[in-house]
Amino acid sequence: MTVTKPETAPWLAAFKSRVPLAHEPAALTLRRETSLNRFAELGLPTRRDEDWRYTDLRPLDGKNLTAHLSKISEDIDINSYVLEDSAHRIVLFNGHWVESLSKLDKLPSGVWFGPSSNWLKDFPDLNMEILETSEFEGRQPFTSLNGAFFSDGFVLTLDPGVVLNRPIQILHVGQTGKSGAQHLRNLVRLGSGAQATLVESFSGEGDYWTNAATSIHLAESATLHHVRLQDEALEAIHFASVRATLGVRSKYDTFTLTLGARLSRHDIAASIEGEGAHCALGGAFLLRGQQDATTVTLVDHAAPGCETRELYKGVVDERSHGAFLGKIAVRPDAQKTDAHQLSRNLLLSPRASVDTKPELEIYADDVKCSHGATVGDLDEAALFYLRARGIPEDEARRMLIYAFTAEAIETVGNMALRAYLHGHLERWLAKSGK
Amino acid sequence: MLEIRNLHARIEEDGREILKGIDLSVKAGEVHAIMGPNGSGKSTLASVLAGRPGYEITEGSVTYQDRDLLGLAADERAREGIFLAFQYPVEIPGVNNMYFLRAALNAVRKQRGDKDLDAGQFLKAVRAKLKLLDIGEDLLQRAVNVGFSGGEKKRNEIFQMAMLEPKLAILDETDSGLDIDALRVVSNGVNRLRSPERAIVMITHYQRLLDYIEPDHVHVLSGGKIVLSGDKNLATELEKHGYAMLGDAA
Amino acid sequence: MSGATAETLDAVQSASGDSYKYGFFTDIEAETAPPGLNEDTIRFISAKKEEPQWLLDWRLEAYRVWLKMAEPHWAKLKVAPIDYQGATYYSAPKQDKDRPKSLDEIDPELLKTYEKLGIPLREREALAGIAVDAVFDSVSVATTFKGKLGEMGIIFCSFGEAVREHPELVRKYLGTVVPQGDNFFAALNSAVFSDGSFVYVPEGVRCPMELSTYFRINAANTGQFERTLLIADKGAYVSYLEGCTAPQRDENQLHAAVVELVALEGAQIKYSTVQNWYPGDAEGRGGIYNFVTKRGICKGDNSKISWTQVETGSAITWKYPSCILEGDNSVGEFYSVAITNNLQQADTGTKMIHIGKNTRSTIISKGISAGRGQNTYRGLVRMLPKAKNSRNFTQCDSLLVGDKCGAHTVPYVEIRNPSARAEHEATTSKVSDDQMFYCQQRGLSKEDALALIVNGFCKEVLKELPMEFAVEAQKLLAVSLEGSVG
Repeated sequence: MTVTKPETAPWLAAFKSRVPLAHEPAALTLRRETSLNRFAELGLPTRRDEDWRYTDLRPLDGKNLTAHLSKISEDIDINSYVLEDSAHRIVLFNGHWVESLSKLDKLPSGVWFGPSSNWLKDFPDLNMEILETSEFEGRQPFTSLNGAFFSDGFVLTLDPGVVLNRPIQILHVGQTGKSGAQHLRNLVRLGSGAQATLVESFSGEGDYWTNAATSIHLAESATLHHVRLQDEALEAIHFASVRATLGVRSKYDTFTLTLGARLSRHDIAASIEGEGAHCALGGAFLLRGQQDATTVTLVDHAAPGCETRELYKGVVDERSHGAFLGKIAVRPDAQKTDAHQLSRNLLLSPRASVDTKPELEIYADDVKCSHGATVGDLDEAALFYLRARGIPEDEARRMLIYAFTAEAIETVGNMALRAYLHGHLERWLAKSGK
Repeated sequence: MLEIRNLHARIEEDGREILKGIDLSVKAGEVHAIMGPNGSGKSTLASVLAGRPGYEITEGSVTYQDRDLLGLAADERAREGIFLAFQYPVEIPGVNNMYFLRAALNAVRKQRGDKDLDAGQFLKAVRAKLKLLDIGEDLLQRAVNVGFSGGEKKRNEIFQMAMLEPKLAILDETDSGLDIDALRVVSNGVNRLRSPERAIVMITHYQRLLDYIEPDHVHVLSGGKIVLSGDKNLATELEKHGYAMLGDAA
Repeated sequence: MSGATAETLDAVQSASGDSYKYGFFTDIEAETAPPGLNEDTIRFISAKKEEPQWLLDWRLEAYRVWLKMAEPHWAKLKVAPIDYQGATYYSAPKQDKDRPKSLDEIDPELLKTYEKLGIPLREREALAGIAVDAVFDSVSVATTFKGKLGEMGIIFCSFGEAVREHPELVRKYLGTVVPQGDNFFAALNSAVFSDGSFVYVPEGVRCPMELSTYFRINAANTGQFERTLLIADKGAYVSYLEGCTAPQRDENQLHAAVVELVALEGAQIKYSTVQNWYPGDAEGRGGIYNFVTKRGICKGDNSKISWTQVETGSAITWKYPSCILEGDNSVGEFYSVAITNNLQQADTGTKMIHIGKNTRSTIISKGISAGRGQNTYRGLVRMLPKAKNSRNFTQCDSLLVGDKCGAHTVPYVEIRNPSARAEHEATTSKVSDDQMFYCQQRGLSKEDALALIVNGFCKEVLKELPMEFAVEAQKLLAVSLEGSVG
């Protein structure tokens, strides 16, 4: 008999009264119960949990997180988030698929792309795959909670050898007058040699809570480029966990631009299981007001001859707080691992703060691993140089912040995506009154 | 154009007084050379005029075009036409040289009441000045001063000066670290920018630069004060006798 | 053998006739407390040491805090359960009859090591705990210097003596840097500490010699729960050497020492440690659990504390010599070499807490893992809102020798002031085959080649050690790595 943490009681009660998905298979309901029990056992994290030591969960207090957002509108403005170059797209509003705004026609053969709810309907035999990672095998209470409550999400699967040249886009939009949650469950599975580019955006209005969980599986030589734009409403809460498994010679690169949400967490765990795989994790967070954002990464090198590159840039202003907890683990047999991790941060205000913890855990000797971290203000000399050429101080500061952040964006290979990210970065900078 | 009266300045961090009563008057069209031994306060003077943070003015005044210069921020001074060619041009990773220059030029033009240059006009202006300093166009695509050789950095400074067309240019040890060919290119560039409306203040340790850019006035700075002033022959004297001759003068 | 050590030995021999006069143990009968830990044990210890009531109360307070605490498990260490109630918390110094009678009774491996380190025969006997005619006791050595130091107003004595002779100083500073309830092991130490060293350097005085236990066996006698308190008054300077370069024969498994340093305005303290407790055998049997709390506070403006450590011994090392940079412009430094071979585990590093303006800290850590050893650097750099213009630079490098060991780096960087700047760099690599081959091609044996490369790797830290220590530390690195290349 496991012990149930008292703070989970409202969710346990909410589960009883939840409305199951249409066509929800009984097996799925069982799995949901397993997830719920796991959540009840774990309880909400506290700062004593190493991965949560820098996250202040107080913004959750007083919010009605057990309520679920409903599908209330199809008349939403997504224009500023649509990537013109995308071939196909799914729009999820408050955690529900909006068919009218999605673009799923002319999918090439060998591609399944659509909302998770359809996937569960289409493939009753496979539908458990979406929950297979037993809540990512760790202490991820919110991912377990997601397993119990998710309403929809997206699934992308590519048969071996299928190459999609143009990006696929998923737009998550939340909107509420009162607080409530959207739990999104996503699955990406690429067959051997398949290639895809995925762009996700998160945006909305109101103080909703986004709780997304994504599993990614890359077979031999598969390649996935994964870009995320987190531009949630400034009152919103955003939790997202991504779990990727990398097969032989596969490539996974992901970049997250974090601009929105009052409180946000992004947890990525990449398991490198195949020899010669390449993993690149990157991101930038730009925060102001009372925003608080934490990025947690774990790259587990279980196979030899693989490469990891991590570059995270943080810009914190006003009273905001940013944190990076990155870990690269190299198991005993993962010889010839080449891993590098860098966390660089700009601290722009006396009331802002930054925490960074780049960690290496190495059990193999023939490795090349390094990491670095820096925290500091804008370079005074550079600022003076710009001003000495007549550029006003606030513009000079914006130029330097832009340059600092752009270095991370440059790691994104696809030009259209880089432009997309640059555009949102510029929008953010233009909003700064200073 | 520039009137410096009894200027005293110290370093904020440790309170060390570097400038101990500078008096200097510069008129439009003039070229002044300020020479002096290491540590005499030459570069501090340049920094203080350009408004570099970290210095505290404890006494005296600086008037520039009948305005109190010391009350202006660094970027305001630049827009008012003061240009400092840095002794050590700062590397700014990630900021494209071309973008930087255009932002600076448009800021300066706005102050003068001129319209922003569009991309085409800007490029045309750039190309004309690039030739003047023997700079390749590829340099514009790189980040500001990043990966530039010492000579390229100095040429880039004068190139910026040519683009921004300042009223008062302060060249801080522009000759240091240049070989003879580069020195010639840079000096030619400066000479082309001499005009009756523009004043130039050159700060240098060596007389060498003055062979290429002939000054109207030469001042010797020592111990934070101007101890000698004269015409260009003073520089020749200094070259002959070294700064040791200041022993008597100071 | 360095000149300084030889001199020390001479001093020992000349002073030995007068031993125990100021000794730690003069008033202690040969008695041992029954195993177990309760308030009575603490009263017994305090009574045996004839301590004043306030110190007994202080110990009891610590004990009560300890009872409520849990053993920390956040370090990357596998620690066999420790039976705190099974241990003995007080034992009188060993009587000659209990000691080994000759070197024949001593582990031959230990003797080989002494030979390699070039330790003289007499000293080897002492280290091995043999009852020898001339009693080598650090206190008697210290006595010879006492006169000289006393003239300058420097107090350097055992902790117990300080409690008797200078209670006002002890009372003023004890527990001000490491409070009783700071952590589990510090609380335990506060309750049951045996003895240790006390140093006070008065205002404006520069201590003319490296203060140290001056003799290798000292630490063995001061026992398992050592307590050191070192105060440098305004403008004072002191360099303190701790430890031994030869492995200690010691059957106490758990060591939980506390070291507190206080630097007042303009004072400088340099604290160097070479730790080579028994690491256990190649199979990981035996060996010391070394759980140490070391912390210094730069209380005054312009003060400086510098920690240098070479950690090669112990089965488990849990140790984070730290600096609280409270005074403006104060400086903290941490230079560390940690080696783990066979089944040794080390989780060590530092904390630099920047409170004052313009505070500076430097962290240089070199970890070497060999055999099946596990070596973790764990460090915290925290800059508080008032730490304007403060700077930290951290460099931690790990070297792996063999494919069964582990090297881990866990830095925490927490910045609360925009004008502060922190930089952390870390690398992990193995000894390059090219370097090894090059050395071997020039005629060096594999082991010598490795020693050479490792010494080079540690150079930045070793150069911080006082001269005579550095030479022995270099030899020690070589000895510690024995058997790690095939």
